[in-house]
Amino acid sequence: MSTPAHLTPADFAPAVMERHVHAISRPSLSYWQDAVRRLRANWRAMTSLGVVIGLCIFAVAGPWIWQVDPAAQDVDQISQGPSLPATALIVEPGTAWAGVTKEPTASGDVVANLRLAEPATTQTVRLTWEPVVGATGYVVYRSIYDPAPDRALGLPLGDSLGANRVSYEDRLDLKPQRYWYSVVVLDANGAEQQAYETFSVDVVRAASIEEAQARGWTTQDAALTVGTQLTLPFHPLGTDYLGRDMLARLIYGARVSLFIGVVAPILFVLIGIVYGSIAGFVGGRLDQVLMRFAEFVIALPFLLFMILFKIAFGIGPGESGVIPMLVALVILDWPPTARLVRGQILQIRQEGYVSASQLLGAKTGYLVFRHMIPNTLGVILVTLTFAVPSAIFTEAFLSFIGMGVAPPTPSWGSMANDGIRTMLSHPHELIFPAVLISIAVLAFNLLGDGLRDALDVRMRGRE
Amino acid sequence: MSRAAVRQLVWLGLAGTGIFIALMVALSWAATITGGGTTAGRAFDLDTKSITIFLDDEPPQLDSRRTSDTISGMVLGHIMEGLLRYDARNQVVPGVAERWEIRPTGATFWLRNTARWSDGKPVTAHDFVFAWRTVVDPATASDYAFILYYVKNGEAINSSKMPPDQLGVRAISDSVLEVDFERPAAFFDKLVTFPTYFPIRQDFQASRGVRYAADAQDLLFNGPFVMTRWAHGANIRLEKNQEYWNRDAIRLNAIDIPYITSDTPTLVNLFKDGSLVWARLGPEQFEEAMKLRWNVARYGDGSIWYVDFNFRPERPTRNLNLRRALQLVTDPNEIVNRVIAIPGYKPLNSLFPAWLPGLNGLFRQEYPPPAITLSIDEARKHLEMAKKELGVDQIPPLVLLSDDTILANKEAEYFQSLYKRTLNLDIRIDKQIFKQRIAKHNAGDFDMVLAGWGPDYADPLTFGDLYASFNGNNRSLYNNPAYDAQVRIAQNSTDQSARMDAFAEMQRIMIEDAVHLPTHERGRVFVQAPQLKGVVHRAIGTEPDFTDAYLVEAP
Repeated sequence: MSTPAHLTPADFAPAVMERHVHAISRPSLSYWQDAVRRLRANWRAMTSLGVVIGLCIFAVAGPWIWQVDPAAQDVDQISQGPSLPATALIVEPGTAWAGVTKEPTASGDVVANLRLAEPATTQTVRLTWEPVVGATGYVVYRSIYDPAPDRALGLPLGDSLGANRVSYEDRLDLKPQRYWYSVVVLDANGAEQQAYETFSVDVVRAASIEEAQARGWTTQDAALTVGTQLTLPFHPLGTDYLGRDMLARLIYGARVSLFIGVVAPILFVLIGIVYGSIAGFVGGRLDQVLMRFAEFVIALPFLLFMILFKIAFGIGPGESGVIPMLVALVILDWPPTARLVRGQILQIRQEGYVSASQLLGAKTGYLVFRHMIPNTLGVILVTLTFAVPSAIFTEAFLSFIGMGVAPPTPSWGSMANDGIRTMLSHPHELIFPAVLISIAVLAFNLLGDGLRDALDVRMRGRE
Repeated sequence: MSRAAVRQLVWLGLAGTGIFIALMVALSWAATITGGGTTAGRAFDLDTKSITIFLDDEPPQLDSRRTSDTISGMVLGHIMEGLLRYDARNQVVPGVAERWEIRPTGATFWLRNTARWSDGKPVTAHDFVFAWRTVVDPATASDYAFILYYVKNGEAINSSKMPPDQLGVRAISDSVLEVDFERPAAFFDKLVTFPTYFPIRQDFQASRGVRYAADAQDLLFNGPFVMTRWAHGANIRLEKNQEYWNRDAIRLNAIDIPYITSDTPTLVNLFKDGSLVWARLGPEQFEEAMKLRWNVARYGDGSIWYVDFNFRPERPTRNLNLRRALQLVTDPNEIVNRVIAIPGYKPLNSLFPAWLPGLNGLFRQEYPPPAITLSIDEARKHLEMAKKELGVDQIPPLVLLSDDTILANKEAEYFQSLYKRTLNLDIRIDKQIFKQRIAKHNAGDFDMVLAGWGPDYADPLTFGDLYASFNGNNRSLYNNPAYDAQVRIAQNSTDQSARMDAFAEMQRIMIEDAVHLPTHERGRVFVQAPQLKGVVHRAIGTEPDFTDAYLVEAP
């Protein structure tokens, strides 16, 4: 048997009211404060947010910082990789070259004394050699590798017909590098001889004062003298196949991509909210009709409608297809948002607090703006962040197949399409836009992921 | 991530890779059974004496009477033969005819009695008469009927003024063909090498009706090769014609054409794999070709390329000052050396390419074209005059029609930037596939177009008559009586020096009037297996020509 507790009279005294039993030990957090806290704890989402903000600054402020025309062609620096600023030697203006003719005296099957007639520049390389008796002409080859030992002469540049015509002027896409020039004799039948004479040349980049001024490398009044070095326009990320600055094109491309990527989702998400709330709140037969229509819109093929809109808008050849693209995205992409919002509204309508609010006399407008929208905002925000990368990707894809921007306006997708042709020889033209597309899509996706976790009510209060 | 999740990921990855590999294997197996037994994969075979080549495109028309393109021309040049043909050195040599005679008023051809169709029956003079009559018959609607206008009554029959049997060509006997000329045609021997002049046997054509030339079995051959397979859009196979009169000189037994593409990266990869015996190179492949130490060769295909203007009344390009302004800032040298950057291309500043023969030597050396001094300031003055004449403050955006090829895109964007920078003109690029570009060019749906023209015969007239107001191929609708008069002189005169003077005058008018902006003569750069010899690349006629090709052991 247990012994009874020893009770004292004090135990029967009335209890003193303690005021701090339910004191809250930490500051109160609203839903949004909690969401922000959880978002900030998610390093992936925060990095992505930083990248997204960085991309926006890149697109918006870029043109002020990097004031280069994205359509300007620098034909002297075509398909150049990322590099430091180049310099060019100022030379006398180019004059037409009549060439060299010399009557042959020596015979043989190979030319002698292959040499430069003038210093070699990127403007022109002028070659001359000693004639050969009995030749009907000479073929000039150029390679960026030494032709020895297996007679790999490189590209056949051209020929000089006639035994006495012993010169060749090469102006074809000269780059400041070393070339091996080879000359082969054509025999009486016009057949190439096996023997060849070769000679290597280091070409220097050069321009005349007039050209420098015409291309805007220098001002009209700047004093330039022949023989000095002039710094050429700087292309930190290189140039494309027409010598256009990659950095400037990427900045302007970002504008197109982010414009479509942000504006289109905002518009179609807004449409989706309105449409979904009406369907969900009114319910009944209207809901049925609205939702069947939404399903009908989902079934419409996007690409076909994009083309139809382009025609309906009267967008002629060579005009930008960005606006029809925007319209097509907005008109065809709202149903998923509408469905989501409708579902949320249907759910919230059943909640006790809504019924309570109704019993207390709340009007429809109050219910929608006080209870429904704030409670669906999290879902909407997540939808929006996931819609952005998909819109960016759609834009890139459409520009890639030539349905988007019109040249010379750049967009990441069209730049990738241009770059894919020279993927092996000049990979930077493909890699830069491709990397930017990937980064933008990934950053928005990870941000959306983080937002979804942060705004999830069930995760509330957890790390 | 937990260990279980990692393990699951690894498993999924492995399974995915496995399924992918299985799918690839299954697909490649499926491709071999549906490929119709194509012997793809071997560039050449020394034992069977066969080679594998590519075509740029599916031949659009193998009916020699109607054909108008170089791809069909290449195929027809191997499977058919005209009265005469070009040899490896581009000399006219006997074909079906063993000897011939050309007089100022007509020509006679004596056909060899060993010439056979692929079914063993002899090729007779009647086969030529039948073919030529149907070419000029307006019901045939041949694009190339005009090339038979040198034959008496050709033009009258083609414009429905006479019945086809009035054409000035007769079969004196089975082996003698006599032709009457409408006007003197000193180069008639070169004309008869052209596919439009090829023979067709009436009874065979009648047996096939509209299906004639639609498939390999709907063609009868008299050339060095026969077509044994033609899977449209996929592959073609040519085999040696055992009935060909000169069969002993043909050293290849088969030509396989399993690739129909003009995409140079694809061609170069196929060549590298040993699937093609030759491949054309684009500028993107030059570095690789040099690195792999290939023997690169080059030829000019004879064609000229230019910016054509639209002279239809509603078009701003009808204004001479606008065209002059554009002419004064367009530098063919820069286009060829910097933009196109392919060896073999030559800057062009005339209607006539540099290779055309003139009186004694080359036409362009005897009659150099008037020089254009490029000047942005002058161009801007002309542009201001043009605006005044057109009554506008700003020239409306000009539509530049171009092919959708790598090179055409590059050129079009270069022009767009050039005219914006120098003249502040807006250019809209209208990229179209080849067929559609031609259709829009014919319909006049452009302001400017990047166009080209290949020669049909080695006389300046093949380019000169292009801008005559009465020529159906004058798609810009340029109409200048002074120019037409020169074309008439060149067509009707037998005095070569008078003709050459007329061509020089056409050349001058074209530049003075800025009728078009010549940019370049096209060149081609290619690699070829060193075992293959005797292939001919030429400006006029079958190109490339494998008739005399043969294989040797590796050097």
